[in-house]
Order: sequence, then structure tokens, then C-alpha cells
Amino acid sequence: MRAIPIRPVLAYPGQFWGRRSLVERLAMILIPAAMVAAVVTAVVLYLAIPPLLDFLGANFPLIRFFIAATAILVLTIPTAFVLIYLELKVIARMNLRVGPNRVGPWGIAMSLMPGLKVLSKEDFTPTGADATVFTLAPVVTFLASVMTLLVIPFAPGVVGLDLNIGLLYFFAMGGLTVLGLLMAGWSSFNKYSLLGGLRSAAQIISYEIPLTLSVVGVIILASTKTAQTLSLNHIVLAQSGSALDWFVFKQPLAFLIFFIAATAEANRTPFDMTEADSEIVAGFATEYSGMRFGFFFFAEYVNVFIVSALAATIFFGGWNAPFNWPWPVNLNAFQPLSYGPAVWFAVAAMVVLVGTYFLAMVVRLLGGRSWDAGSALVMGAIVIFVIVGGVVTLAGFIALDWVRGIVWFMAKTYAFVITFVWMRATLPRVRVDQLMGFAWKWLLPASLVNLFVTATAVLILNR
Amino acid sequence: MPARPTAPRPQNSRVKARAAQPQPQQQEPSADDPRVMLDRQLGTLYEPIPPYPTRTEREGEFYSLGDGEMFLNLGPHHPATHGVLRLVLKLSGEQVVDVDPVLGYLHRGVEKICENSDYYHVIDQVDPLEYVSSLFQEWPAVLAFEKLMDVQVPRRAEYIRVLSGELLRVASHTLFMGFQALDLGGLTPILYGFIERDEIVEMLAALTGARMLFNYFRIGGVNGDLNHEFMSRLGDWMSRAAKQSQAQSALLNENEIFVRRMRDVGVLDRATALRYGVSGPNLRAAGVPFDVRRAHPYSIYPELDFNVPTRDEGDALARYLLRVDEIRESIKIIDQCLNNMPDGPITAKLPRLLRPRPGRAWAAVEGPRGMQGVYAMSDGTDQPYRFRIHDPSFVNIQTVPAILPGGLLADTMAIVASLDPIMGGIDK
Repeated sequence: MRAIPIRPVLAYPGQFWGRRSLVERLAMILIPAAMVAAVVTAVVLYLAIPPLLDFLGANFPLIRFFIAATAILVLTIPTAFVLIYLELKVIARMNLRVGPNRVGPWGIAMSLMPGLKVLSKEDFTPTGADATVFTLAPVVTFLASVMTLLVIPFAPGVVGLDLNIGLLYFFAMGGLTVLGLLMAGWSSFNKYSLLGGLRSAAQIISYEIPLTLSVVGVIILASTKTAQTLSLNHIVLAQSGSALDWFVFKQPLAFLIFFIAATAEANRTPFDMTEADSEIVAGFATEYSGMRFGFFFFAEYVNVFIVSALAATIFFGGWNAPFNWPWPVNLNAFQPLSYGPAVWFAVAAMVVLVGTYFLAMVVRLLGGRSWDAGSALVMGAIVIFVIVGGVVTLAGFIALDWVRGIVWFMAKTYAFVITFVWMRATLPRVRVDQLMGFAWKWLLPASLVNLFVTATAVLILNR
Repeated sequence: MPARPTAPRPQNSRVKARAAQPQPQQQEPSADDPRVMLDRQLGTLYEPIPPYPTRTEREGEFYSLGDGEMFLNLGPHHPATHGVLRLVLKLSGEQVVDVDPVLGYLHRGVEKICENSDYYHVIDQVDPLEYVSSLFQEWPAVLAFEKLMDVQVPRRAEYIRVLSGELLRVASHTLFMGFQALDLGGLTPILYGFIERDEIVEMLAALTGARMLFNYFRIGGVNGDLNHEFMSRLGDWMSRAAKQSQAQSALLNENEIFVRRMRDVGVLDRATALRYGVSGPNLRAAGVPFDVRRAHPYSIYPELDFNVPTRDEGDALARYLLRVDEIRESIKIIDQCLNNMPDGPITAKLPRLLRPRPGRAWAAVEGPRGMQGVYAMSDGTDQPYRFRIHDPSFVNIQTVPAILPGGLLADTMAIVASLDPIMGGIDK
């Protein structure tokens, strides 16, 4: 019988470590480290929770501000994706095209693709560019547009920060956007970028004046109804009632001026001078690629949303319903939490599971052989989630005033968003001199006349 | 128990390779280093390099920058220059002070290629020059060869030539309307224009077998007779063509922004247009009623009833509106062709190998962009001795330095688009 040689377990001291792959090495380091960290965290939390709770209680406004700011920053991402998809699809339909229909059902995941693309691209700085300014420019633009969202009231109580100078803050922050564009145009070391940056400076500064003046009439009217403040919450409250109380019917000229100036402020067609693709290639963004370009791209769509939201807030009653709904359903007797969370969890799980199987069965029966079991199940799950989500939203719409507020607010805002998209599909671009001439010769005098008439009327009527 | 053998620790091959190579030493960059010199000259790196010494007075004037002026290199890769046109603009702010068009990025030497191919092959060599409406480049070539050989073209072939040519003129002008809007920032009209063009091109594909480079005209006739698919598509299209083009032009004509951006922009007056030798819609928009179909009639045009629309303004808007009018006239011509289409053969009988007698011939037709001409010379062999192409876009684009200065950067796009150049023909 042949002797089986005994192989040494370790031929030399470091062999065990040397033969491990990178993942194994990382796991061997990280898992014990994580265990230690978990224990340490638990001990620290046990010791720190009472003082932390005290701290949170004592600094509630600060904590609320942090949470609101984070929520708004996170909110911009789905908003931008929805807007990009809307623009792709709506313009496509207006051009008699089909539009995106490959990524996801009806192409709804299409707008994720440019997002992933810009993330995976090289972060490139051209030779001769001022690297610091070049890097900071998209950050300034993006943050300036996101920060304006802080004062927009989405629903009663759902507002980032109810500033008493809300409108002023909004215009100040919105005006900062131009700084980023100018920085990008200057630092890119490209003549197209330079032209784009200078155009944006000229355009946004010119249109800022009629934009701001057009809402002064609204502020005067709102001050006669509620407290004398620039808070957007108060402007919305001053429009409560039916649709006839909205300021668009009391200030139609102001709304027109506001809408035109806001289009210019958001760099949308027909005023998209700063990135006129048939003239100056991509304007300030010519040299940008990767996620830096992505920030500009995001900022542009967030700007559209913000401008629409402000138009809805100031002139179309914000979260107010267009009519006084006689709410017949009183859900006060219905106390869901009285049954205990376990029962609710079980019911919800059963509804979703049984509903999925039931709908999958229906899909299989109706759709025939083209649906295999997996597809039918996925379709059933999608449909049941849509139904459950719809039912929950409807219940919230009936029972909770903040859900109602958000639904009305979003409906109005997206109506404006689609108007902007519609304009982009329809109108050619104006020329630079026509753009400036229009702002100074027409919009500015018109907004001054509007302000004068409003102020006189309020003075006479309120005497 | 025996002692464990101690093996030397195995080394990574990459580590060994790295150790074998000497590490590059970090050195101070010297002033002679080309990269350092490049870095120092960055401020002027992207300026166009003037020829030294300057060859002409005009060159010297162009390359000397005044106070606050800069060069802007527009093209050859630019979203709005219709191919590979390069314009070196001298800008003062947004205002164009001077402009130098640079051509030749698409040059293939087609005339020489034609001189080295026999008479039949010339037709498909000249096709891609006018790639939007390529029949109008074939037409003067076959006309010139027919003159060289004294060939009598059958009447049915002439009618088919006029019919397909006018269809293609409508397609070209419709596409022009879309591109004009696109260069002013309008997204939609170009797609409507392409829908219209696609219908025409599809029906021509049924007739000729190709959508873009047709290779359809032959010396002494055409390559195929009218067929059922072509006629049914044509009838379908004719039933709504006038209404459709009306609707499409209304989308732009009644747009205040579009009209304001086109009016009084790039005014090409009558004298300048005649001096430069401009032809086609650009000349007629300046008030000169010159149309080769009427001035030097060819084919069956003397028998047809159509107007030569003119406008007096000579600006970009006039050039645009004139093409809209021409679409109407073309539809009128198509209607007459369909009504009077004679029966008969579609080609003259010709030998396989063509050897015309020595001589020379000039033939010109009215294309969508102006006079498309061919000057052919025969030395008695089966290849043309000299083959010269007169392209209207080449003449029209020469007027850009005359009409552009004084306008804004944005007007550059409106003007170049309104001249409707095709770079294939310009660079040949």
C-alpha cells in the first residue's frame, strides 16, 4: 500500500493570507471590524440616547430644517427624472414620433439611462481651463436652484422653511444660478462657453427685474387679506376659497409678465439663449462632461419644476382646491391603529399576495399563451401595487388635508411643466437683441404699470 | 517530526517587472520643453493660424484683429452648418465683423473621376453631389451627353423626368423649411418636413429603386417605366399635398418669433446677387425673375403652365417664402404631367458603348438650389475628355461674406440656412 504523504497545512507562515482572494481578505478584515463597530455603537447609543433625545427636543427647528433640506435635496432626483421623461415623451408625441418605449413599460425608465451614462463617463477638465472654478460652477448652479425649493409650500404644513421673507429669498437664490453659469462660461476656456455664459448673465439679470416687479402687485393684494409678509404660505392662504380667489384673475397682466420672465429665468425655449444648440453648440456646458454636466442637466429640469411651482403658488392658489368640496365622508370613527400593527401587517400582506396571484391568474386567462407564469406574476404585482397605492392615496385625499394639498399642488405644477414642454416643441428661439429689447422695452414698463394700477386700486378701495 | 521545509516567498510577477524597470526621475520642466511652450502660448492656441506672409491684401485685413474682436471657428463640426462648412467668424461681442468661409472638407475630385469613367457611369458618379435631390445632378449630365450625341429623348421619358424632378423639388423645399426652423431653434418642423419628404422619397423608391441616390436618368431616357405602386402612392399624396404644405408653412409663417428673426436679415440685393452669379430661389427672392426652365427652356417645360414667383425684399424671409410658393408651382406642374402623360417608349435606342463625335456641350437645368450645369467635352473616345460641374450652392455660399457682416452670431445660422447650401456639391 502506497503511503499518502502528509501535506503540511502551512508551508510557510504567510501562506494562509497569501492564498486568499481580494474579496476574502476584505471580508476577513471588515466583518470583525463591523462586529466590533456594532457593539461599540450599541454601547454608545445606550449611553447617548437620553441626552440625544434631550438635544433633539431642545433644538426642534434646527432638526426640522436639516430633515427638510435633506428631503428637498433627495426630492429633486425623481423630479428631474420625471421631467426628463415627460419632455422626451411629450415632445415626441408632438413631433408625431413614438418617443422612448424600450426601457421599461412605455419607456418610463428611459430617463434613468442618461443619468447612468453621465455617472459612468470620464470627469474631464480641458487644457487651459481654470480647474477650481470649472469644478465649482455646476455645484453653484445646482445648489442655487435646489435651495429655492426650501420655501415652496407643498401643502398645509408641508414646507421646508416658512420664511417671512420667502419670496425675496426665492428670487435671491434663483438669481445665484447665473453665477454658476457665468463661472462655467468663463472657466471653460472655450469661446462658445464664454458667449453662453455672458448671454446668461445679460439675460437672467434683465429678466430678474420684471419677474420681481410682477409679483409685487400680488404681495400688495395678499397683504390686504392676511398679515403683511412675503411668506409664500401667507400668499397661498390669501387665495383660499374657490378658484375665483386665485390671484391670476386679479392680476392677469402680472401673470403674463411673470410667465414670460420665468421662462427666460429657467432658460427655456424660446429664451434658451445660453445653450442655443444651433448657434453656440451647448453654450456654457460645451466643455462639460460626466457628472459635472449631469449637475447642469439636473439643475435645468429642477429649475423648470421650481418656476412652475412658484407660478402655481403665487397665481393659481398653491395647494388650495379650485372649489369648495363638500366633504361628506367622515373617517373619524375609523381608527386603524386600534386594531394593532400585527393585524394590519397581516391584512396588508394578504391583500398584496392574494391580489397578485388573483391578477396573475386573470392575466394568464385573458392574455393566453403570450404570458408565461413569471411575466403574469410580475404584471399582477405591478397592477396590485398600483391599485393599493391608488386606494391608499384616495383615502388620504379624502381624509388628510396635506395629501389633498400635495395632489392639487402637483397637478397645477405639472400643468405648467407640460406648458413649458409644449413651448419647447413649438417655438423657435428669439435672437439676443430681441430678447433684451423685449425685457427692457415691454416687460419692464408693463410690470411698472401693473404695479401702479394695483397699488392705486388697493389704496382707493381700502380707504 | 521533520522540520517544515521553508520555501522562499513567491513574488508577484508584476512587482518583479516593476522592479526591473528603472523608475523615471522627476525633472524640472525646461523652458525648451514643447509642452511648456504650449502651455505658455495657450492664450493664442486656438486662434486660426494666418498664412505668413499673407498672400493677399484681403487676407491681411481679415487676420488683423481690431480692438475687442475675436475669432470664432464655426465648423466644420457644428450642429448648424449643414455638413462640413467651416466659417471663420471675426466677432465683436455677438456682432459679426467679418467672415471667411473655408471649403474643401468633402472634396473627392468627382469631375476627374467622371473623366475616367465611361458615359454611362458618369450618372452614378455625380449622384451624391446633390444628395438631397440627386436627380437634378443627373439631369444636366444626361442632357449634355444627349446634346453631344444628338439623341432624341422620347416624350414619355421627358414627362417622367419632369414628374420625378418636380416631386424631388417639393421634397427638397419641404426639408429646407424644416432645417430653416431647426437652425432657429424650432424642433418640430424638421420632423414634419421629413414626414413629407419620406412620402415622396418612398414613392420615388418605388419608381427608381432607391431612396436617396436614384441613378435613374439614362442617356436618352429613364431607367424604368411608371409602375402601379408609384402611381398609387403619388395619387394618395397628391390628394393632400397642397393642404399639407400649406399647413406646414402656416406653422412657421404665422409664428411671430420666426418672422421677426428672418425679416431684414441677410439682405441680398439685386445687384450683388447678379454680380456673384447667384441663381435659383435666392436670385428670385432678390427680384430677378430668372428661371432656367423659362429662360433657357429644356425638356417639356415650354408646354407646361406655371409661374416663376419672385419677391423683392431679398432677405431670409423672402427666400423662405419664395420656396413655399415654388412648392405650389411644382404641385401644379406635377398635376399637368399626370394629365398629359403620353404613351410610348421610355428610352432611345443607343449602343452599349458610346463614342460621341469630338465636340463640346453645355446643359443646365433648374434645380431646387439654382442652375445645375454641366459642361462636357468629347474627344471621340468612350470617356468624356472634360467634365465640368457648375453647382449653384457653390455660387450661393460665396455671398455669405457679403451679406453676413453687421449681423449677429445668431443671424449666421438663419442666413446660411436660408441660402440652402448642400456641401456635397460645393466641395465636389
